[in-house]
Amino acid sequence: MKTASLPRSASIPAFLLALLLGGAAPLTSSSSTLAAQAAARATAKVGPNAAAATIAPKAGKSVRFAVIGDTGTGGSAQYEVGERLNESRTVFPFEFVLMLGDNIYGGERPQDFIKKFERPYKVLLDLKIPFYASLGNHDDPNQRFYKPFNMGGQRFYTFEKDGVRFFALDSNYMDQTQQDWIEKELSTSKNTWKIAYFHHPLYSSGARHGSEADLRTVLEPLFLKHGVSVVFSGHEHFYERLKPQKGITYFTSGGGAKLREGNIRVGSAMTAKGFDTDRSYMLIEIADKTMHFQTLSRTGTLVDSGSVQAVTPPAPPPSSDAAVR
Amino acid sequence: MTPVALTLAILLVPVVMSGPSAPAPQAAPANPIGTAVLGFKERVAGYVKVHNDAESKVPKLTQTNDPAQVTGRGAALGAMIKSLRPAAKEGDVFGAAFRRVLEREVRKDFQQRPAADRKALIHELPANMKVAVNMTYPTELPLATFPARLLSKLPDLPPELEYRIVGYHIVLRDVTANIVVDVARNIVPTIPS
Repeated sequence: MKTASLPRSASIPAFLLALLLGGAAPLTSSSSTLAAQAAARATAKVGPNAAAATIAPKAGKSVRFAVIGDTGTGGSAQYEVGERLNESRTVFPFEFVLMLGDNIYGGERPQDFIKKFERPYKVLLDLKIPFYASLGNHDDPNQRFYKPFNMGGQRFYTFEKDGVRFFALDSNYMDQTQQDWIEKELSTSKNTWKIAYFHHPLYSSGARHGSEADLRTVLEPLFLKHGVSVVFSGHEHFYERLKPQKGITYFTSGGGAKLREGNIRVGSAMTAKGFDTDRSYMLIEIADKTMHFQTLSRTGTLVDSGSVQAVTPPAPPPSSDAAVR
Repeated sequence: MTPVALTLAILLVPVVMSGPSAPAPQAAPANPIGTAVLGFKERVAGYVKVHNDAESKVPKLTQTNDPAQVTGRGAALGAMIKSLRPAAKEGDVFGAAFRRVLEREVRKDFQQRPAADRKALIHELPANMKVAVNMTYPTELPLATFPARLLSKLPDLPPELEYRIVGYHIVLRDVTANIVVDVARNIVPTIPS
């Protein structure tokens, strides 16, 4: 399924575009943010500006983050998405960034880390916005030692932000050690929000790769058993929001630099929303039991938005004593 | 062979080998699969000793902001391991007996996969990549995802090593040193036409 083609913000006044797309961010932002945006617009080059289309946070206190995938090309599209992230952040001040793998394509020489990561996201890195990477099939696992990726030297790891628990997995190599680790970490987490992210999508309408059925047989039972609400993946170079699968909402956001144009299978019954005509990134806000999401394009247009409720994990089975009684 | 069968095979070997009466010298092994797996695991342990020895001879890698340290340390470790096993050759770790076990498991796994699944898997493999023992895995090429269900049927490896598919071959790859430790050639089936 493809979304309707959206107009480029360059040809429509920003405030009008925001209203057309339902993203009334500037009108609801704080006065200081408005002033910053106005100053930015006054000096801005002619071209897209994602600030206009970005939806401002809905809650005063919430967990806010960005999601990017398949980014590490070092090409102009990656840099453009990086600029859009900066612009979006003036309206939606996200506190960290999830990376869905394929962080560095091609060679992994020291200069590649600079060209394909440090420069495109320099503004965010200078602001000390942490990035939390997962490994894609184009990534050398030694990236786990690269401090700006915040992997703690591990191929798979977990961290918490204000009550939201994240699980970064290595979907390239799902061995028993990792499966045992996931089971242990998920089962001991008491968080309302459990979010998993990794490179290969368990469900996908992509014509090139499609669903990772093999991986799904291993991970999905664990996610269902332990109450994972949302899963982010990349690998497919487009954006897709899947219809909830067994209660779990899956997003594919692998268009952070590369694009596989027209690759979402038309008429796929799994697709709730698809966007495969340009690069994209996501912005997420979690407050209480609601997660708000928005997806924006390289040209600064809003291509999807909505909300997801946290799933309630299944009740543990009754103890044997209870069963006897 | 299912994981249960493989586990049983491995567990039974010590029982057979440590029985009260030694088997007759000419008797065929009672559990050839278990013996093959045990032999493989012993050779893996031997490689890990070499890896650890090499680790002790290069600077320790901790998390760093300097990408040159990330890439440089991996290369240094790889070079050290190569220098410690310069005569390493194909089959040194897999071994002929385990290679047969591996081939059977891989072929059985592929036969059970739908055609679309097999094609999707093959599609990810690096095309025309040449592999050899002690070569550095080119970082320009993707590491093909190893199928999770197949992985669950193979003997676990220590964290220093992993199985990878390259073309029609299964390789053992040193994760941190990024070098090919061993190659089992032509055991991954071709794409069905």
